[in-house]
Amino acid sequence: MIVTAQKPLDEILDFLSPYNSILVAGCDGCTQPPRGLREASTLAQLLELGGKLRSKNFNLRVTTLPKQCDSYLTLTTLQTQIEGIEAILSLACGLGVQTITQVLPDIPTFPSQNTLFIGAEIREDSILEERCAACGDCMLAITGGICPIARCAKSLLNGPCGGSQHGKCEIDPEKDCAWDMIIKRLEKLGRLSALEEIRTPSNFGQVVRPGRVGV
Amino acid sequence: MELSAKQQKVALKINEEYCSSCAACSSACPFEAIKRDPETDKMLLEIEKCQVCAICYSSCPAKAIDIIYYDIHSLTRYLENAKEEYKSDSLVIMCKGSAPDFQDVEKLFGVSNFVPLSVPCVGRIPPELLLKSISPMGIKKIYILACDEDYCRFERGSSITGRRVTALNVFLEQFGYAKELIKLKRNSLKVKVDRNKCISCGNCVFYCPYDAAKLEHGAASFDLELCRGCGLCVTLCPAFALDLEHWEEDRISALISKLPKEKKKTNILVLRCQWSTFPKLEGEFDSNVHVIDMPCAARVDPLHIMEAFQNGIDGVLIAACPEEDCKSQTGSKEARRSATALKKTLSQIGLEERLHFCSVAPRYPEAFREELKQFKVRIEIACSKEVRQ
Repeated sequence: MIVTAQKPLDEILDFLSPYNSILVAGCDGCTQPPRGLREASTLAQLLELGGKLRSKNFNLRVTTLPKQCDSYLTLTTLQTQIEGIEAILSLACGLGVQTITQVLPDIPTFPSQNTLFIGAEIREDSILEERCAACGDCMLAITGGICPIARCAKSLLNGPCGGSQHGKCEIDPEKDCAWDMIIKRLEKLGRLSALEEIRTPSNFGQVVRPGRVGV
Repeated sequence: MELSAKQQKVALKINEEYCSSCAACSSACPFEAIKRDPETDKMLLEIEKCQVCAICYSSCPAKAIDIIYYDIHSLTRYLENAKEEYKSDSLVIMCKGSAPDFQDVEKLFGVSNFVPLSVPCVGRIPPELLLKSISPMGIKKIYILACDEDYCRFERGSSITGRRVTALNVFLEQFGYAKELIKLKRNSLKVKVDRNKCISCGNCVFYCPYDAAKLEHGAASFDLELCRGCGLCVTLCPAFALDLEHWEEDRISALISKLPKEKKKTNILVLRCQWSTFPKLEGEFDSNVHVIDMPCAARVDPLHIMEAFQNGIDGVLIAACPEEDCKSQTGSKEARRSATALKKTLSQIGLEERLHFCSVAPRYPEAFREELKQFKVRIEIACSKEVRQ
């Protein structure tokens, strides 16, 4: 899931200030926390209140899309809803904003979110945590199902570093050391010997930006 | 200044002068709050455990329990006045938990004109009141609406009422009254799901305190036997796919949009968990304080709070139970979390003071009034600041 955090309302109000009629578009896709119709409605209410305090009366409409990163779904869902709309505020990740920009080039689209990372939802701890860095050269088979690229602050291929302390990371002692977890995991699986081989630099050239595959 | 527990007025007391230590209260109490002291033989109430269901009050044969809420005298007085007002000889006593709306009572019992009495749990009604209402008050038919037994927020309130009704009916028939003069129905308010709107986020599955939700064929589905109607899933559903009977999204919005506003005063909306503080039977607050009862603070929806602000409400006060008293397990905790998050967002547009979350318990009847009083002062200050700017 793509994890996002809402931008400060001031920032959103600033870039929306030249417009009056705005469509606030939620995304029912993978954004976390969910940014669907409820979130879009709440944001619209907040902007309306915030606008009033700045003597600005927005005319806000609210909608949601099945997934904003699908150009066809986005165009077909939105094209019937944009009459009189001067700007669109997207609650999706950066993909959503750019897909709307592509399919509706005549209307400026703005992000209400900062897109953070690909995160797992660890419900029991009430956290969303980065677990995959989309590096294009997956090594989870070797590392016991724990990714050192995403979960080690230094993205070390051969770890742990000297900063691993009591299973925690020296960069942020709140977080677990990925390499400590990998070693314990491989020990449990009886595959610790897999780490005897020094891993050479990963082929990050698998994905040249912008990444693209045919479907 | 916060009063310590000892200094505060409490809702319930055992009057030692009348108490014969029969322990009827202790065996009826669902929360083990009353015990007999083996040394002195006195009945001891542990107020911190008491949830003020008043089942002890309605069970005590010696009238040795003094209670602040809905004592027999105020109930009698209310019924006498209400009988005049509604001009009916049918009485409907309903638990707030299962019938927040008089219209629905009409549907359930088929009576359109009746004297309504709405209380938090029917288990608190002393049998004496039912007999009094028949004679001398002249009530011809009594309908009691209780929650399903396993849904009762006070565990035994519904089942005890069931037994009392059976016994009273036998007794009344023997005395020549109509058969089944007291009619009991059970009703529980539960979640409704629109599977077409579900986006399979899994929030309901994770947050339901009763494990009533699961994802089935790509959409949420509920085991209604397990649902306890707290409304937490409804508030957390990002797609408006869930709703709660009687506390529907639209119904609450409509209530908020219709609130009468006082022009010259600050307007306060209290979103009150109906178990956190009990209302008086007649007229509660000043005309600028509006109250909407919730099945649990978990049903308090940030969207409704925003709607209230849009509708000219100056301050919203959420009254929840302390977490350890919550009748829906995690409801109060999640409500606090949600209110804290909303307050943080509101602070970005300078409105954080307009929302306050308080936890209060009916065992301290003055706690809520004190919170409200302080909140009113803060809102008045906040509003006067804005006018000056």
